[in-house]
Amino acid sequence: MEKRLPVLCPSCDSQLRVSSLLCEHCNTTVTGFFKLPVLMRLDQKEQSFIIEFVKSSGSLKIMAEKLKLSYPTVRNMLDDLIDKIIKMDEK
Amino acid sequence: MIRKLINPFNYIAGAKSLLIGLAMIFITSLTGYYSNTFFPDILSVKTGVELTFKVSLLFNIVNWLSISLLLYIASLIFSKSSVRFIDLFGTQALARSPYLLAALLGFSKSINRLGEYFLWKYLSIGEPTDISSLEMTIAVVLLTLIVIISIWMITLMYNAFKVSSNIKGGKSVTIFIIVFILSIILSAFVNNLIFNTLHT
Repeated sequence: MEKRLPVLCPSCDSQLRVSSLLCEHCNTTVTGFFKLPVLMRLDQKEQSFIIEFVKSSGSLKIMAEKLKLSYPTVRNMLDDLIDKIIKMDEK
Repeated sequence: MIRKLINPFNYIAGAKSLLIGLAMIFITSLTGYYSNTFFPDILSVKTGVELTFKVSLLFNIVNWLSISLLLYIASLIFSKSSVRFIDLFGTQALARSPYLLAALLGFSKSINRLGEYFLWKYLSIGEPTDISSLEMTIAVVLLTLIVIISIWMITLMYNAFKVSSNIKGGKSVTIFIIVFILSIILSAFVNNLIFNTLHT
């Protein structure tokens, strides 16, 4: 089973932060307070969209063909994502 | 399935919707010509009037162009997205497809008979006409179907606009209502000019 990285608190829906990181090789643990990068803060579906978009060389036309959706629908998805990222950056 | 019937534009837009939409407009005009059904503005359906095929086709083209043009201008003003001309005009052409069913319903003469009956009975206009209860029932059912088809078409037109322009919520509803009313006026005016020029 593929585990999903939780980005929102299951209790209060606030954005989660990273408090510890582990080196699997030597078992060193780094603790601290790290903000997740913007891409990591997006949900799984949005991250997949961005990855597919990059794989499609940034072509909305190819994306639309891959997702079997119309061009304006895919463009709207991208525009909504851009809006969300801008708002995240402003916070 | 129902979602695809009221909003196919998530799956089809651009040149494909334009080609299918224009083909549907042509077939609707041809059907309307044979069933004596025509569309004097973007919403109205008139039955029992004989028009030439040329006028029938021009009416439908004017109806499509009126709302598409005004929605395109509104989208350029109010949308934050880059709206493509072909998406808006293509999806609006396809959104008019339900009126093919309205043109087909025109083959039944019951609606005209009901109209003639009411005109004679309540306004004493025309020839004395009688109508059987079966025919009256058929006419009422057909009129109800035309209302449902009109609601379906308006829903399609709104969804086509929403997908093509990426304008959401109350803003998209308000813009659509205003443009829809303006399009009725514009298309009725232009079609009236066409009628007076080509049909008299």
